[in-house]
Amino acid sequence: MVNVTAGTAKPQEKSINMSPFAIARRKFLRNKLAMISSFFLLTVIIFSFLAPYITTQDITKVNISLMSLEPGGEHVLGTDKSGRDVFTRLLYGGRISLVVGFSCTALVILFGTVVGSIAGFYGGVVDSILMRFTDFVLNFPFLVFVIVLNTILFGIVNGLYVLIGVISLLSWGGVARIVRSKILAEKENEYILAAISIGCKPSKVIIRHLLPNVLSTIIVQATILFASMIVAESALSFLGFGVPQSIPSWGNMLSASQEADVLRDKPWIWMPPAIILVITILSINFIGEGLKDAFNPKSQR
Amino acid sequence: MLKYTIRRLIGMIPMLLLISIVVFLLAKAMPGDSLSGEIDPNNTNPQYIAEMREKLGYNDPLPVQYFNWISSFVQGDFGKSTRYKMPVSDLILERLPNTVFLGVTSLVITYILAFAMGIFAGRKPYTIGDHLIGGINYLGLAIPSFIAGVFAIYIFSFNLGWTPYAGSVDIRIPQGTFDYWMSRLHHVIMPAIVLGALATASYTQFLRNDIIENSRKDFVRTARAKGTSTSKIYNVHILRNSIIPLITFLGFDIATIISGAIITETIFTYPGIGQLFLTSVTSNDYPTMMAITLLLSLLTLVGNLIADILYGVVDPRIRLD
Repeated sequence: MVNVTAGTAKPQEKSINMSPFAIARRKFLRNKLAMISSFFLLTVIIFSFLAPYITTQDITKVNISLMSLEPGGEHVLGTDKSGRDVFTRLLYGGRISLVVGFSCTALVILFGTVVGSIAGFYGGVVDSILMRFTDFVLNFPFLVFVIVLNTILFGIVNGLYVLIGVISLLSWGGVARIVRSKILAEKENEYILAAISIGCKPSKVIIRHLLPNVLSTIIVQATILFASMIVAESALSFLGFGVPQSIPSWGNMLSASQEADVLRDKPWIWMPPAIILVITILSINFIGEGLKDAFNPKSQR
Repeated sequence: MLKYTIRRLIGMIPMLLLISIVVFLLAKAMPGDSLSGEIDPNNTNPQYIAEMREKLGYNDPLPVQYFNWISSFVQGDFGKSTRYKMPVSDLILERLPNTVFLGVTSLVITYILAFAMGIFAGRKPYTIGDHLIGGINYLGLAIPSFIAGVFAIYIFSFNLGWTPYAGSVDIRIPQGTFDYWMSRLHHVIMPAIVLGALATASYTQFLRNDIIENSRKDFVRTARAKGTSTSKIYNVHILRNSIIPLITFLGFDIATIISGAIITETIFTYPGIGQLFLTSVTSNDYPTMMAITLLLSLLTLVGNLIADILYGVVDPRIRLD
């Protein structure tokens, strides 16, 4: 890992009266790499979602006369083989990639947390049934099954929803396992016993008492997942099995590089999405590292 | 240990059945006949389809159909490819050596690179070299393989001309000669590096951290006190302890290579199983697609099993019930 030394460690007496989340926030704000990454990610998000106000170019209209223009002039990053502006498509593509990544992460975290916390809290038969089911889902080769399911469902439902659903359906296993192990450790504490003995309903014990205490793990997991979901979406779109071709996404734009002449002679068509994708993933990972570090009570910073 | 292994093997059977049922149901959900490939999905004449359905037993109850399918699958009859008009088993056997070659080369490269970098970084932690290796690792973990592949082709094949960008061998060279194997190696080297990048990064990271951790242990201090040379301590005493946990990664690598091969083979147009899978999907060749899906699922299952068993072999404290 890249070792980041951000700020000098100040005397710790101030942190005595602070809540764990306040300490974590202070640690995170002092982590330079994580802050730069957050700033970058925020910029990408703002630009993508304000795309219609930033450029007025049409993203779908095919214009033969403007085919494969080099960067410069009216088209800042040039145009692709159908004469569409690369910069505009980059902004709109970011929107799709981020939305797909975010929705998948939300669904995966929701489902994984529900399964993991129920299995961990109840234990016994419920636990073994749910965990065998989780093992079963984890045993599927991810890419193969996403492609097969996509082929079956394609055309029945809207392509984008199919993609989000299928990716989420096959990815929640890891989160469920982690949440379960955390809950297992946490429920041994006396305050849980106290909550149960004064008559709290199981749902209340899980939501009010257990989940807040494993929240830091879930947040870190969500960050890492966000990056891998964006990768999954763009990999599938790159192969031609993700977001429908008519909608621009970073993966769809990259798939142009499968044509040898684009790859060899027209790098302005595929390089921008590739570079922005790598930087986005890197910055999400840095944020994840920063969060992990911030939530770790043992880290000195 | 043997008992544990046998128990794990028996535990795998219900998983196998469940996965085969899922694949079967998915195949039934597809248009046309995706199990034996006798019905051409492009022929839409209703009379032809009805006749073939009756002949192939499509009006039987589902469990009977499943049983017929799985028994022929176990006997190696995967049906007929609707695109290539030949048995799927022959098609797979033709492509399999290429994928195995790619996977093995990738593993060998992974091990060589990871050992060199991990040992170096672990021995001199927090130096410039270590930070450099750490940075490369971070990129290896963060850059998706398809982007790495595209850049590799652009830089090494097109701009520098070092490696070919497609195929598995130069077809002009006669089979079996030394040049033939060199050509194969030349074709496989770039995809193998790209395929192994993720594993290399995680191996290096693991080895480095483990070496640093071990170097603080008492047995190292004892060895130092007895006057053992530093290189011997690192290369013999510490390395031996750090290599063992790495073995457990091997099982997971099988699963990673399977998913990775689909992407890598497509980018480098390398004729292996992964590429066959994608072309079968795009050309509606459902029998080939379903056979490969089941095969890859089985391999993933075996990979996870190997990982679990090796875990038990390496660390005797782990005894899962």
